[in-house]
Amino acid sequence: METARRQWIYAWLMLSPAMVLLITFTHYPAVQTIVNSFYSTPRGRRKAVWIGLDNYQTLLLDDVFWKVLANNFWYAVWTIPLSIILSLAMALWVNDKLRGRGFLRMAYFTPTVLPLIAVANIWLFFYTPGFGLIDQIRGLFGLPEQNWMGSPDTALYSMIAVAVWKEAGFFMIFYLAALQTIPPSLREAADIEGASRWYYFRRVLFPLLMPTTLFVSINAVINSFRLVDHIFVMTEGGPNNASSLLLFYIYEVAFDYWDTAYAATLTVVMIAVLILLAIGQFFLFDRRVHYK
Amino acid sequence: MTTGKSIHLRSVHKAWGEAVSLRGIDLEIPANKFTTILGPSGCGKSTTLRIIAGLEEATSGTVEIGGADVTTRPASGRDIAMVFQSYALFPHLSVAENIVFGLRVRRMGRAERDAKLKQTAEMLGLSHLLDRKPSQLSGGQQQRVALGRAIVADKSIFLMDEPLSNLDAKLRTEMREEIRDLQKRLGVTMVYVTHDQVEAVTMADQIVLMNEGRIEQIATPREIYSRPETLFTAKFIGTPPMGTCRAGVLGVARDDITLGVRPEALMIDPTGPINATISHIEYLGADAMIDCRIGDQVLPCRVPGRTELAIGARISLSVAPDDLHAFDTASGRRLDEFPPEFAAFFSSQTTAPKGPIASSTER
Repeated sequence: METARRQWIYAWLMLSPAMVLLITFTHYPAVQTIVNSFYSTPRGRRKAVWIGLDNYQTLLLDDVFWKVLANNFWYAVWTIPLSIILSLAMALWVNDKLRGRGFLRMAYFTPTVLPLIAVANIWLFFYTPGFGLIDQIRGLFGLPEQNWMGSPDTALYSMIAVAVWKEAGFFMIFYLAALQTIPPSLREAADIEGASRWYYFRRVLFPLLMPTTLFVSINAVINSFRLVDHIFVMTEGGPNNASSLLLFYIYEVAFDYWDTAYAATLTVVMIAVLILLAIGQFFLFDRRVHYK
Repeated sequence: MTTGKSIHLRSVHKAWGEAVSLRGIDLEIPANKFTTILGPSGCGKSTTLRIIAGLEEATSGTVEIGGADVTTRPASGRDIAMVFQSYALFPHLSVAENIVFGLRVRRMGRAERDAKLKQTAEMLGLSHLLDRKPSQLSGGQQQRVALGRAIVADKSIFLMDEPLSNLDAKLRTEMREEIRDLQKRLGVTMVYVTHDQVEAVTMADQIVLMNEGRIEQIATPREIYSRPETLFTAKFIGTPPMGTCRAGVLGVARDDITLGVRPEALMIDPTGPINATISHIEYLGADAMIDCRIGDQVLPCRVPGRTELAIGARISLSVAPDDLHAFDTASGRRLDEFPPEFAAFFSSQTTAPKGPIASSTER
């Protein structure tokens, strides 16, 4: 009896440091955010008052919200498949026996190690109209100057390119690790049967990589909402919110306009969208994923 | 039914940079026969098999299958099927899909594919497991699926890389017979790599014994046991292996000759010419192994398990001349004839060797 209680105390003591941190900085703020979304923003001596679903009504009528939601949709639609396909292709390549394999792996991983803020500054130079790297190359072919980040048509896609470049190397590491757990004798068995490289990839390799693809795609979805650092440096959501994303908009509302209650409402919506997407992915993938 | 094809390796070398694996393999594997490649780990036996399969490229030398030079042909064009040590089953595919994998690659029609699958599954007793995944099967069942994949392909040559090493002892004995039967029934050429001499001896028509990237001997199981061509073969084949000692033990002053006697050929014989002391006894049940110390040399001797002998006892031993093997100590090669110095020893025994020595000895 005495030892059982002592073990119980030990268990709580062991758990408490992590629990204190998680509750203070994750769970409590999360609950508080949901609560805040039903109150008005406190200003000066005016305290926050219960306003029910007023904030959600504002949100439905907010053109900018719908604009950034659409932007985020396209941002996700492009970055997720592109980064996954690119990372898989890179992993397949550097998994082969080839010269300078270690160097290539490192080179592909470098963008992941760099802070996104630094990456954004590098890409700022690439995109600069006139003397940026891309325009210099275009100039060689006699093509006109192009303001990549300044034009509403291309601003979002410029941000997508940076995100894909940044993410692919990270996902490659997961694919590479998964590829190395696949025994080479499977490839040899397929070779003896006369299977082509593509056939082997389609029937064997890709199905066996499914658990990794699920993991990577969930991460890609989360990142497509989370990775907005480069927007601060490069476009600040402009021009005319053409490159603004949901999280960036939340930041603007909360810390530029100080409309914290409305920011809380936007956050609740974003979390709901993420939860729905994650659940959907699990159900979609579950049947096709073969776990060892 | 398919018919086997012969395989011919001509001076095949294989090196990975500095590391040399095969130092010139000349090997003829007859069609429709069961050939095992036997040897200790690292002797190059798996590499030899993989070069036949086309999974590994020889550094030099040629590979012929059925009389055609296939050295540069890919694995799929060599008319071979292979069973891997790890079985190499596709873990995400069902048993049925694993077996017909190659048929799908070759775009065989559905009706024909199903018929072949049914036939193969029945042959191997897998019919009730076709929907399972490999991870839901026992080791023996996985082994059968791997065999099924090889059988269904209708190839002339089966290559097997230590296929039974992951099974427990009882199952291994069963599968040994089954694989042997299968080879006879299908009439294919079987090349079977193993480090287990029991497998090699019980299954093979022909044993290829390899050591350090070279072939030590190619012979039938009986021949390789009764007439080892090298000291290595003598010491590798047989459990326990052949005992060896310097010729001096028999009173023959030839330090360049090493003698070999199988433990079961060394007889306790009160009138025998070899005097020994028992230095160790190991009880094995039906038998006991005793170590006979003769001067500074030790020869193992197999005696019935219920022996009364004790450590330290003095005994006399004899060996039939036919059971005595002589090897050149430096090269390890077998000597076809005993040098004349042995005449005195043979004449001291009741029996004399056949052949050249026999005529020169008195009975």
